[in-house]
Amino acid sequence: MHYLKEVLAARELLVNLTLREVRGKYKRTVFGQLWSLANPLALMVIYTLVFSLIFRIKPDPGSPSGLNVFALWLLCGLLPWTFFATVLTNGANALVANAGLIQKVAFSRIVLPLSLVGAAAYNWLFEMAVLVIALSIAGAFVLPWVPLVVLTMVVLAVFAAGFSLMLAVANVYFRDTQYFIALILQMAIYLAPIIYPVTLVSNASKDVGGLLGTPFTIEGIYQINPMVHFVGVFRALLYDNRFPNPIEWVICVGWALAAFVFGLLIFRANEKRLAEAL
Amino acid sequence: MSEVAVAVEDVSKSFRMYKERNQTIKSAIMRGRTSVHEDFWALKDVSFTVPVGSTFGLIGSNGSGKSTLLKCLANIYYPTRGTITHYGRLAAMLEVGSGFHSELSGRENIFLNGSILGMSKKEVTRKLDEIVDFSGVEQFIDQPVKNYSSGMYVRLGFAIAINVDPDILVVDEVLAVGDAEFQEKCFQKFRDFKAAGKTVILVSHAMETVEAMCDHAAWINKGTLMTSGEAAPTIAAYKQSYGHEA
Repeated sequence: MHYLKEVLAARELLVNLTLREVRGKYKRTVFGQLWSLANPLALMVIYTLVFSLIFRIKPDPGSPSGLNVFALWLLCGLLPWTFFATVLTNGANALVANAGLIQKVAFSRIVLPLSLVGAAAYNWLFEMAVLVIALSIAGAFVLPWVPLVVLTMVVLAVFAAGFSLMLAVANVYFRDTQYFIALILQMAIYLAPIIYPVTLVSNASKDVGGLLGTPFTIEGIYQINPMVHFVGVFRALLYDNRFPNPIEWVICVGWALAAFVFGLLIFRANEKRLAEAL
Repeated sequence: MSEVAVAVEDVSKSFRMYKERNQTIKSAIMRGRTSVHEDFWALKDVSFTVPVGSTFGLIGSNGSGKSTLLKCLANIYYPTRGTITHYGRLAAMLEVGSGFHSELSGRENIFLNGSILGMSKKEVTRKLDEIVDFSGVEQFIDQPVKNYSSGMYVRLGFAIAINVDPDILVVDEVLAVGDAEFQEKCFQKFRDFKAAGKTVILVSHAMETVEAMCDHAAWINKGTLMTSGEAAPTIAAYKQSYGHEA
């Protein structure tokens, strides 16, 4: 409780550090905040070309929204994913990049990784707003679902924050962490149903059956990945315009809480040694 | 003796001295360890008290543990053993301009740096004029700080730090910044501090500074406290130890 109070007292600092990231990032660029759209748009174009036109992946049309646009379907999963990946990549560096500050000023260290979550969330919010507008233009009745989308965004942000707390500490002791996480994230995008529908995995899993005679199936193992569920919830809300599967929602919240509590404990246990370890 | 502002009790601080340090996962897994180290005691059972309203000098030669003690006082390091208790709001000035973002303007950086140092937005807004005035960079306050000269940069940083307005101020040798005129302004600020009944703890190599400003002092040598108390005898003892200028 005492710790929560300390973090709460530092909320103004958190806001200021977040603003430092947000304002500093696109300074002296002509396009400014528009650059945050560039990356997802470039990915959208290339993935749509490769997976929709060449590989002929056909996700089911949104039901009941009736949407049938691969690019929009893709973005509903891709934007949460890029947010998650950005938070992890930047978060791993949060403490090491601010070594000078940590060694010279006493303040609640946790604001460093959390401010990066805030800055990434700000960009993500902007991207999602553009996506909601695009979905509406395409004919989806998405506006009533926006409050639930925002709630799910908060849950994903908490989940990502928990991870970044762990990674930030790990990177202080093992600088390998930052490279390792970049590698993992590159592969992990293919381990969640972001650029292909989850039904492809279910079908493949049914064909193979239990692995090596065990009751474990490919789909069962696949479902361990929390991002599978997050993407599922976001697609249900944004693309299909229906209530997500409540079990899937509970799994997301569970993962988020577990990751955050665990991250917080790790961070707290190491916080006082950071100035020396860096 | 008068009231105590800071009480340092039996403080010891050890660091790990690494004979080899190989912080990679590879070495952690392959050899089951990342380093070979032995403990180095930078501070050994240091105890003293700083009276309220005093200007307290920490003196000692290079590598004596002054900076380690200062960082312990500033809550950046935590003592391995012993406790440091301070009564009242404590602010440390170990570096000026910490956390400045070079692309942001002087004004934006005042708010950013102020909150890093623990000031609320209201406080900074209230003191903004004073800070800008003290730093002497009014003309450039809306320019990005990367365009500042090093003197301007340091002056702005110092102006923010000095306006945190703590009960106890811990200062490293940042006094050696700016031109003579600005230094005089800084010293005046410290005197004002003292006049307001606040405590200043100062680390310096410049004996003239310590002699001119401090009324109490502690002399640390190789991690142990040699003597502490009134400034004049402490400084005299320190000077005698290295033999010249005595």
